[in-house]
Amino acid sequence: MSSVNGAVPTIIVIAGLALAAYALLMTALNRRMGLSLLVGLGVLEILLLVLIGVIVARLIGGGRPAGLAVLIGYLIAMPIVPVAAAFWGALERSRWGSAVIAVAGLVAAVLMVRLHEIWPAIHV
Amino acid sequence: MTPPDAVTPPQAAASPEPAPSPPESTRTGPGRLLVAVYGLFALSASARAAVQIATKFGHAPVAYLLSAFAAVVYIIATATLTSGSPRARRIAVVSCSVEFAGVLAVGTWSLVDHAMFPDATVWSGYGSGYGFVPLVLPVFGLLWLRRWTRRGRNRRTAG
Repeated sequence: MSSVNGAVPTIIVIAGLALAAYALLMTALNRRMGLSLLVGLGVLEILLLVLIGVIVARLIGGGRPAGLAVLIGYLIAMPIVPVAAAFWGALERSRWGSAVIAVAGLVAAVLMVRLHEIWPAIHV
Repeated sequence: MTPPDAVTPPQAAASPEPAPSPPESTRTGPGRLLVAVYGLFALSASARAAVQIATKFGHAPVAYLLSAFAAVVYIIATATLTSGSPRARRIAVVSCSVEFAGVLAVGTWSLVDHAMFPDATVWSGYGSGYGFVPLVLPVFGLLWLRRWTRRGRNRRTAG
């Protein structure tokens, strides 16, 4: 195994962008954050946890990125993003709560790109 | 036929158009999105500056110190916009103004003097490494804060 499985980061990019698009639609339709966006965030969170598991397994197996501290920082930050977005967006009664979720989806997709820059073994 | 004025409740204003409901706080409404993005940048810029200063400060000290300054500005913006108190709003206006000037100044400087900015920082190239969000963010911040200026208040009390 020369690299981290490319399927999981790819799925996260797609899921993140899809969630962002759906959340932007809800924002445009003047809908506050509801159950559907919460479920979307939940799916994103599970995917991110799976990716963290895969990366940790790779690290235990002996792989090392050039910047290990940075990678660990990302591993800590990644699962926090959907959770923080869920709280911050759910407590807002207007369409702007949904907009917050769009940001979370975009961030998840961007994080995959940044991860690849930190450790090229992680790729889409 | 009763004149329409007779059934108008006394406390209703005579404004011809419906007044927009005033934003309750800088952290609600559109401010919700603003605080989310500012918080994101506060964390991201702080982490990036910390890593740069901790691991390779001698490589580009000016650039990394400016990176740390940007992180502090983002932290202040996030905290003050979340607070929403009148004093916090005043601080936020100053912070966003400094932020906007900073993006323009560092952006220009980084394009002119490559030797001083070998590594990308948050405000390098006007925030091009972050989709130019650092360039537009303070503009939206200041526009949002304008709703609490005297003009914004007059619009509220007139309705």
